[in-house]
This record gives sequence, structure tokens and C-alpha cells, in this order.
Amino acid sequence: MTTLTLRQEPSERLDFLHVNPLALSGLSESEAAKLPVGTSRRGLTLGDCFSLSLDGSDTLIIEGGSSRLDRVGAALSGGTIRVVGDVGQRLGEGMKSGSVTVTGSAGPFAGAGATGGTITIEGDAGDHAGGAVYAAKAGLDGATLVIRGTAGDHLGDRMRRGLILVGRAGAYAGSRMIAGTIAATALGDHPGFGMRRGTILAGAAGAITPSFVETGTHDLVFLRLLARSLRPLSPAHADLAASALTRYSGDLATLGKGELWVAAT
Amino acid sequence: MAAWVKGGATDAGAAVDAAATLLAAARTPVVAGLCAELSAIRAAYHLADAIGASVDPVAGASLYAELGSLSRTGAMLTTPAEAIGRADTLLIVGNAPWDRSIVQEIAESVPSRGRAAGTERSILSLGGPRNGATRHVAYPAETGGLAISVAHLRAFLKGHLAGEAAYADLAKRLAAAQYGVVLYDPSELGELGVEMLQGMVKDLNEVTRFFALAVSDPFQGRALLQLAAWTTGQAPRVGFGRHVPEHDPWRFDSARQIAAGEVDAALWLASLPAPRPDWLATLPSIAIVGEGSPEAAGDVADIVIAVGVPGESTGGALWNERRSTITYTPPAGQPAELNAAGVIAAIQDRLVQMKGASC
Repeated sequence: MTTLTLRQEPSERLDFLHVNPLALSGLSESEAAKLPVGTSRRGLTLGDCFSLSLDGSDTLIIEGGSSRLDRVGAALSGGTIRVVGDVGQRLGEGMKSGSVTVTGSAGPFAGAGATGGTITIEGDAGDHAGGAVYAAKAGLDGATLVIRGTAGDHLGDRMRRGLILVGRAGAYAGSRMIAGTIAATALGDHPGFGMRRGTILAGAAGAITPSFVETGTHDLVFLRLLARSLRPLSPAHADLAASALTRYSGDLATLGKGELWVAAT
Repeated sequence: MAAWVKGGATDAGAAVDAAATLLAAARTPVVAGLCAELSAIRAAYHLADAIGASVDPVAGASLYAELGSLSRTGAMLTTPAEAIGRADTLLIVGNAPWDRSIVQEIAESVPSRGRAAGTERSILSLGGPRNGATRHVAYPAETGGLAISVAHLRAFLKGHLAGEAAYADLAKRLAAAQYGVVLYDPSELGELGVEMLQGMVKDLNEVTRFFALAVSDPFQGRALLQLAAWTTGQAPRVGFGRHVPEHDPWRFDSARQIAAGEVDAALWLASLPAPRPDWLATLPSIAIVGEGSPEAAGDVADIVIAVGVPGESTGGALWNERRSTITYTPPAGQPAELNAAGVIAAIQDRLVQMKGASC
């Protein structure tokens, strides 16, 4: 497997848009070392910041992460990236397939616009995980985003397709959601603000927006199918989907075809 | 005295030399504030381009609350003149717009043209103060805040909620308007609230004419936004580190950058009054500030240069809120010795000389 080992904490934010298994597979180590990753006038290259060990495989290991590593796995179209440590903003932005795993925490906008593949964050995620970046039409757009720890505010903002699975998340989870599914053990205030369609499943939620209305408890086939699809990723979330749930419909300020399922108390 | 270096008073030339030396040694500088006349902001963008700095105006929070919504869903906007001339219903959202003179101007007039001409004007308030200074009908905000309140109101407007609630009454009043205007402050309402409000305005246009009117920020953000667009093709928060203007509102948020230790020098431009950032004295910094302001003192930054204040001691193109455009404002008094654009251009010239000398 190809391994990049961070020498020391980078002095500036680094952009990994063009550093992925496919791009590195056709390069020699000296060519790869010249890939520009810096974002300032210093003109930092990959070789300035990392020691490289390339074997042309479709697996890339980044040893020693940093909250300044931006766009790791962005536009990934196959292969595997594993980061041992933290990453910065826009993890897996716009990725199409493959898998990205981060053992530490991720900055904001993880999985923004990702249309396929799986992104796993074993630590925490920042704000707007699975959310849309500035001026983008959609956030997560078909990929699977798994956050084992907690996520910040605006999780899945303007999400369009796909699945987000998270422990706890902050306020305004699923805001302006177009479609897709979010499953969480707990959410902050006002989940689903402005959502048009989509499903949010939560073990607990903060204040519910008054433009959501409670529609009772239901035993739907959909929930059983959802539980089945969640079980391989997280048995706890699958158990939640299979438990007694109260349904809220909303956001009635918009299209109102979204649903918020909260564990019945 | 017009300039200070390391707390000691000096002449402008020495301060410009010191500023150029400080910026020449920087690798990831930031140009912030940008509360100034347009010529100075233009010079600041050119300097940022030359030194690979990122740019972040003090008006950023307000601008991006508006731009975030505008860039995705668009907006239906009107001008103050149209609101005064045509509106028979004015909805004021929040507290902030009540401080603006346009509220009184609208309250003291009636619609004079258009389909509502000659009718009585009603002023409605959502989550505003109840001071009684202007006759209006007040509706309290939800506990969740203004954005939540607007969403609740919009649900009634769409007919998705019904009942005898106060917002149901407000929704009826809005839908009955012949030409309605909703006045709001983007920084108070927030991006989610602005988008919800703009959605509500679009819904209202299914049945009548209704427009939004955002009050401008007090830090020249609207003027700066236009300059940023025609200079870089982007919204204001850009970085020139890779020789092209990269737009990223999160990455180039100067407060975040400095808190994360990503900046090694800063230039603060505020020839007009603007709140001094906490971080200014924490890193190598240059402050170009209006003469006579509290910031025109030696301890504010490593290098402080006092310049003319546009509209007072120098002329300049500024945002005219009443006309919703950029207009020239002549100096009201004796012109100052220095102006901000000239100082920034001199710093850039000195940087070019230093670069030439080092080759």
C-alpha cells in the first residue's frame, strides 16, 4: 500500500484535492513529491511535508493527520484512503466511489456533495458535516457518511441523497434537507428546519420547530427496512429504528414532506 | 501625529517602510477590516494580490448571511424608494431595523404610486420592540428566535397550519397586502432565517406583490461586495495564496484563521469607524485607521497610520443606503494629509522596490 507520513504539523493549510490513490499510482516517488499541496506563496509540495512510500496500489495510508489537511479524498473515484489522525475541512467532498476512513476527527463540510462511496469518521466531525458548501445546491448527495463520535451544527444541511449515521449532533441537523436519511442517537434543537423531504431518525431531540406537527406513532414497513439497512453499520441505530417512535411531519414552512422520528418517551 | 511604529511617533514615510518590511517577511498575511472608502478597499485588494494575503471584511458576517441564501435560492428585493412610494404593508422583522431612519420615513408617509396609491399604510412587527414610538401591530417572536418565527409564519401562509394563532392573523394581513415589503437585518436574522424569509416572499408573490428589503451593514459591506465582484469575480472572503482569488468563507474567516495560528501578519483597514478586533495586538500587525478615532494611537498595532476619514477629512465613494448604491461623498472639512488608498499604494510600491533590490 502507498503510505504518506507527515513529518511535522504543517505551517499552513494543505490541499489534498489531487492526492489520491489513482493520481499517485502513475507517479514515481520523485514526481509525487513535487505535487503542489500548499496554499500560500511558499509553494509547499507533498515531498516538503510528507515522506513517501509508493507501490501503485489503490490503498493510500496517511500516517499522522492534521486539522490543516483539507479536501482529503475529495473527488475520489475509487480506492481506499485511511488517515491515521485528524483532517481539515471538506473530507471526501464530491467523492464518487471508494472509501475514506479517518481515525481522528474531521473539520467542517465532511462529505459535502459526495455522490457515492463511504466516509467514516471514527472521532468527531465539525459543523456542516454532510452539508452544502457555499453556493452549492446540495450537501451529501448519495454517499454514506458514518460519524462514530459527535457532529457539530447543521449536520446534513441541504442534503440531497444518501445516509448519515452519527452519534450525537448539534442544532439544526437536517436543515434545508432535500432528501436522504439521517440517523442519530441524539440531536440538538430544531432538527429538520426548512427540510422539504427526507427522513431524520433520532433517539432524542432538542426543541422541535413549531412548523413540525406530531402525527402519532406508527408501525411501518419502512422502519423495518430502515432498521435492516442500518444494522451492518450500527446495531444501536438499527435498534433505535426498530423501537417505538413518534413521528413529526415537516417542515410545513416548505414542502412539508419530510419526517422526523424521535424515540417515544 | 499621523503614524506610529512600535508605539513611537514617526512620519508617514517611516511607517510605510516599516509596514512594507513587516509584510515582506510574512508568508500567510491577512488583510482585514476593509471598512473604508472604495478607493482604499480597491488598493487593499491589489495589495493582497501582490503579497498572497487573504481578505476578510468586518462586514463579513452580515454579508454572508445574505449571500448564502442569495447564492442558492435567489431573492426578491426592492429599494428604499420603492418601499416608501408603493408599500401599503410593511413587516419589520426583529429589533435591528427599528434603528434605521427608513422606518420613520415609511411610517410618516403613505403610498403615492402604484396599485396601493392613496391607501393607508400598515406597519407590522415580528419579534420587534414594543416601545410605541411608531404606530404598529406587534407579533412576538417564538422562543427559538427569529428564523423559527419566520418558519412558523410561513407555515400559516402556505395553509399548512391553521387556527386562531397570532401568526395566522399576521399571515392574513400579509396576504391581503397590495404591495408588501418586509424589512430585516441579515446579521440579526441569520442565513437560515434569510432563506426562509425569501421563501416566504416568493410564496406571497403567488397571490400579491411582496418584496424584501435588507438594511445594509454599517461597515461599507454592500459597496465592498460590488468591488469584490468586479475585481475578483467572487464574494469578499478570498485568498490570493495560490496567485488566483480562491473564495472560501470558512477558510478565510480572519478570526478563525488567527485563532488557529494560520496567519503571521495582519493589515487592519478601518478609515471609517469599525470595532477593533481582539486579535490585532496579538500578531505582527499594521493598522490604517481614521484620524481622530480611538484606534489612532501607538499601542493599537505594531504600525499605526492615521488617514483621512471619508466624508469628513477626505472624499470617497461610499455606500448610500437611501439610494441603495455607491455615491461620492466629499470631505466636510479640511482635507487630511494622508488618505488610506495612497498609504496602501505606497506600501505596495515600497514592497516592489524591496523585491527589486533583493534580486
